[in-house]
Amino acid sequence: MTATTETRIGQPYLAALRKKLPHAVLEERWQTDDQVTVTVKLGSLPEAVATLYYEHDGWLSTMVGNDERSLNGCFALYYVLSMEGAQKCHVIVHALVSADDLEFPSVTPKVPAAVWYEREVRDMFGLRPVGLPDERRLVLPDDWPDGLYPLRKDSMDYRFRPEPTADNETYKFVNDSKVETTVVPLGPLHITSDEPGHFRLFVDGETIVDADYRMFYVHRGMEKLAETRMGYNEVTFLADRVCGICGYAHSVAYASSVENALGIRVPDRAQAIRAILLETERMHSHLLNLGLVCHFTGFDTGFMQFFRVREKAMTLAEMLTGSRKTYAINLIGGVRRDILGEQRLTTLKLIGELRAEVKRLIDILVSTPNFEGRVKGVGLLDPQVARDYSPVGPVVRGSGHRRDTRADHAFAGYKLIDMPVHTQAGCDILSRTLVRIAEFFDSIAIIEKLLEDTPTGPILTEDFAYKPYKFALGYTEAPRGEDMHWSMTGDNQKLYRWRCRASTYNNWPVLRYMLRGNTVSDAPLIVGSIDPCYSCTDRVTIVDVNKARSKTIAYKEMERYCRERTDSPLK
Amino acid sequence: MLKLLREVFRTGEATHKYPFAPLEVAKDFRGKPEHNAVSCIACAACTIACPPNAISMETDVAAGTRTWSISYGRCIFCGRCEEACPTGAIALSPDFELAVARKEDLTKRAVFSLAACPSCGEPLAAAKEVAYVLDILTRSAASPEEAERARFLVSTCPACKRKHDVEQLARIGVERQMENR
Ligand code: SF4
Ligand code: SF4
Repeated sequence: MTATTETRIGQPYLAALRKKLPHAVLEERWQTDDQVTVTVKLGSLPEAVATLYYEHDGWLSTMVGNDERSLNGCFALYYVLSMEGAQKCHVIVHALVSADDLEFPSVTPKVPAAVWYEREVRDMFGLRPVGLPDERRLVLPDDWPDGLYPLRKDSMDYRFRPEPTADNETYKFVNDSKVETTVVPLGPLHITSDEPGHFRLFVDGETIVDADYRMFYVHRGMEKLAETRMGYNEVTFLADRVCGICGYAHSVAYASSVENALGIRVPDRAQAIRAILLETERMHSHLLNLGLVCHFTGFDTGFMQFFRVREKAMTLAEMLTGSRKTYAINLIGGVRRDILGEQRLTTLKLIGELRAEVKRLIDILVSTPNFEGRVKGVGLLDPQVARDYSPVGPVVRGSGHRRDTRADHAFAGYKLIDMPVHTQAGCDILSRTLVRIAEFFDSIAIIEKLLEDTPTGPILTEDFAYKPYKFALGYTEAPRGEDMHWSMTGDNQKLYRWRCRASTYNNWPVLRYMLRGNTVSDAPLIVGSIDPCYSCTDRVTIVDVNKARSKTIAYKEMERYCRERTDSPLK
Repeated sequence: MLKLLREVFRTGEATHKYPFAPLEVAKDFRGKPEHNAVSCIACAACTIACPPNAISMETDVAAGTRTWSISYGRCIFCGRCEEACPTGAIALSPDFELAVARKEDLTKRAVFSLAACPSCGEPLAAAKEVAYVLDILTRSAASPEEAERARFLVSTCPACKRKHDVEQLARIGVERQMENR
């Protein structure tokens, strides 16, 4: 918005793009000093994205489809690249897709990280990625009617639920193995879970040869809901509910996307409070994952201890926000609740206790005899696979890549501190766990630092007006990695488009590679190590390639096998 | 193993007695919003601020009433209603035990009567809201004439106000014509 030529970060990338593809770039628009949208010719889209991705340290953060027919007669695609080379910024490659033929050249053959995004934009807008290797549905259920594209502006009311068109699930699970395998299905539904998934493991004896999975069984249509029913401030509360564990990260990402789009200067004190609460959220989330690691390695006492200590982080959130979860603290322009002197002292006391107690528990965990044996060298994520698919958070940092939104694109209160980034080179479950452990202690240090010299002043600004059709990115580093939101304001006090991408979305595609070559009994541990909402994976279908038989195993049984590693359910 | 045992003994008992003993919550915990119909003026500010539409208003012109209602089943305990309310009639309480045996019991209502426009007799707005605004305006009025004018503006319905304006304009127009002669 207020970007001037001197302060803009990322101009060398644009220069390089113009040099390599002289006639492709049509227009550049700066949303902030470090966010630029470049419009390219549709035919050059894959080349432009691939150039930024592989030649200039770009990572694919999200892709936004938008029905802009009422604005310019076309559909639009925005490929968001997080540039993590010498200059850290976001470059958004934008292209218009004709509303008549609805086709665009797929970026996936050049940049594999685009695969889920292109499958999703096909489901939601009916745009056809030409050359996309995987043409299955991603988000829409198999029994959803053909030709009904939910996010098109003229398609349907947000409350409409079409009749299912089929009784059976017709999803085709992919198995790339050269040998014969057995199928192990995990899923699809678990009555107590918030997000079920169906896993299918292809095994040879006890070894996983390949894996495939289907998610989005409970797609909640939040983007549509926000675009049609809610005002700008109300969406901050909806974003709080994207995830039951790290919802606040979404709320901050959403609020900052609108703030960036409108050029709102959020008071520093509000930014510091946001960072303090984000770290509070990270503490409880990482403790939850550490507890689960204990559980899956058969160390249930450790699980209980981590969950006991985690209560302190929940108490902290309750004291600072009034609620253990769904903090409901953000508004566009700042926060709703200040941190007062007394709360500051209690916070310092609580995190002091947390530091001491968690340190003792970590000592116990790493000295547990079979812990290292279960997690070292298991669930390997090859750094090159990671490079190709743009995973985020402890998953990518555990494979040696220094990616952390807090450091790369400092937002909220992280501008006020020096942000350490922890990486591990082991690429396994142990590495991911060690990253989380280090980050837990960082969170404490960050909160201490921000409470020590909190900027003074107001916590909310109302000194702005909404303008139609302004758009920008907003992002946070959630406990599971980068959350990326893209918002475009509308002309009716509602969002024209809200695109919300949760961190785990970027981590699912690499899970397949992490499972390959491991034993079935390690599968729950590996899935747990990307820290998804765990109960999703209820049952597994195991297919034995050699014996050509298939068997469905209850998740409880898989979990038992993972913990005890005796009496294989495959026999 | 020894470390673990030591930790277990150090901790002692970690569980709370709840529900057999009350559970303490933080000082500004956001629980059930309590509505006070006595101070509520049925202005509907909370219905607009409420993100999940837990609060709503319904007007029954025939009966001359406006019904305010809250559904605790929809409430997300955000406290936006409390921020929006001009009279402090709704505020979040620390109460989090909201389970009920029947779904209907999750809804609470308050019925307000509507004020009629003194000119045409049609219902205008909640009587308490009209009285509230009137009170503020008359108290801040500089002169009795201004207060009287405020009374007219606040209690008259938009249609009658418009008619009144047209009549006045017409009168001024006639007077001007007379002067010009
Ligand atoms: S607390 Fe929030 S959700 Fe509940 S009634 Fe008030 S505004 Fe609505
Ligand atoms: S905002 Fe307050 S006074 Fe107005 S209707 Fe709601 S509770 Fe009543």
